[in-house]
Amino acid sequence: MDGPTQDRESRPQRPLTGEFWAAVDRGELVRPVCDDCGHNFFVPQFACPRCQSTNWAYQPSSGRGRVYSHTTLHRPPTPEFTAPYVLADVDVEEGWHLLTWIVGCEPDQVSIDMPVTVRFVTGADGHWLPAFAPDEAAR
Amino acid sequence: MSGAHPLHRVAIVGVAATEMARQLDTTSAEISLRAALAALDDAGLTVADVDGVAARWPGPGGTVFQPGSADWAEVFGQPLRWVCDTYPQGVPGALDAAAAIAAGLCEVAVVFGGQAGVMGRSAVADYTRPDNEFVACWGSLTAAQFALVAQVYRHRFAPDPEQLAAIAAAIRNAGSSNPSAVMTGRGPYTAADVLASPMVAEPFRLLDLCLATEGAAAMVITTAERARDLPQPPVAVLGGGSEWHRQQYVNPPRYDEVWSLGAGAAQRAFELADLSPRDVDVFELYDINTYEVVRQFEMLGLCAEGEGADYLAKAGIGTDGRHPLNTDGGLLSYSHIGWGGPTLKIVEAVRQLRGTAGPGQVHDAEIALATGAGSGAQYHNVMILGRG
Repeated sequence: MDGPTQDRESRPQRPLTGEFWAAVDRGELVRPVCDDCGHNFFVPQFACPRCQSTNWAYQPSSGRGRVYSHTTLHRPPTPEFTAPYVLADVDVEEGWHLLTWIVGCEPDQVSIDMPVTVRFVTGADGHWLPAFAPDEAAR
Repeated sequence: MSGAHPLHRVAIVGVAATEMARQLDTTSAEISLRAALAALDDAGLTVADVDGVAARWPGPGGTVFQPGSADWAEVFGQPLRWVCDTYPQGVPGALDAAAAIAAGLCEVAVVFGGQAGVMGRSAVADYTRPDNEFVACWGSLTAAQFALVAQVYRHRFAPDPEQLAAIAAAIRNAGSSNPSAVMTGRGPYTAADVLASPMVAEPFRLLDLCLATEGAAAMVITTAERARDLPQPPVAVLGGGSEWHRQQYVNPPRYDEVWSLGAGAAQRAFELADLSPRDVDVFELYDINTYEVVRQFEMLGLCAEGEGADYLAKAGIGTDGRHPLNTDGGLLSYSHIGWGGPTLKIVEAVRQLRGTAGPGQVHDAEIALATGAGSGAQYHNVMILGRG
């Protein structure tokens, strides 16, 4: 993948979410799916929020979704972030959602229900993040 | 009151708020202690009367163990019968203390907290900068979490920006006339001023958003029976309740899940009080941003979803309006002090019911509503207060 540079080695190792970030580092988006009830959920939890089963696994996501909501931040919380940037809550088509950025277009072009697809970008700490960009194919 | 319900057997007998400023040259411990002592003094009580504490322990000294309230026992120089660190502020803190007193676990509880010496001049308060790995990496903060909710509301209902801005202006003007407010003397503000202020997180402009300041607040709660022998007119807890949707700053709050957050708690609280939201004389609402004020009127059922800004424009929110609100200038203009901000809502509600609220006093206020909320739009709580 011809993506941005990244620093895989220094990514903090986390017990519950390490696999998610390892996939991100490979340019893949995954999400937890419950083995018992099939529920998609996010953020990862040790037990399924629908049936409380601890039998779940990360499965690949299509990375396609729609903007549930978005806001353009003009004042970042810390200097590592460069404003303006678009925060969004994206509904991914398998039935889960995540906080993310919308990239690849001007902030004023982002709208609720806009189709988007995952695009990996380098975050403020040098690691890849699963952002989303307008999905031209879905328009 | 019949006195049948346990909550109706307690009263708020002392309140206090310290000086408020963007930065104070003291510590969180010292400013919190001053608030606690001032509230006890207000109640005509002393530390020797206290047998219940709900507070966080900010150090220095003591330990990092929970409950931090036990560290306060050391400072107070006496053992306690009841402590509660769970949410030692605002409505949940008052309800926990009231429940403990009603159950006989303690008799005089002081709930207190605040912050000082922690706010950098340019920094955003650390409690607005979540550390969860799925939030922090995106550069989110409190204003953005709430903005994600407000944007859906705006998309669906297209509220009038002027009417929304007028709410922020009115609250800020209440703060302008409050000599204790951080923003005292600033303004007056018009809706146009709010709409001309810099955009922070769409749709919120700078003047739509609350302060992050320093100071402390405290309240003293005891039995209604003991309250009769104390100097202040007691304030009764007529009803209260909380809704915890989920932890804040983990998943983004979603409009469809959180816009009516608190409706169940409010319904239970008003049933307990045998009152309706229409009976409230003064509202001390958690005004972390302008949309949250509108949301709470819709959540309370005083108007339909999507109609809050228009409803408030017609009803009036000043001291002579149908729904006087945030009479001290609120979190927007009076102060917001970390682990103590929600308590300021009860302090002002109590002063309104005593008739000692100062320039923001609502004539003959008998019923007050105080609310609180999570900084990530994921929980809400309400308390109805009345003259005891």
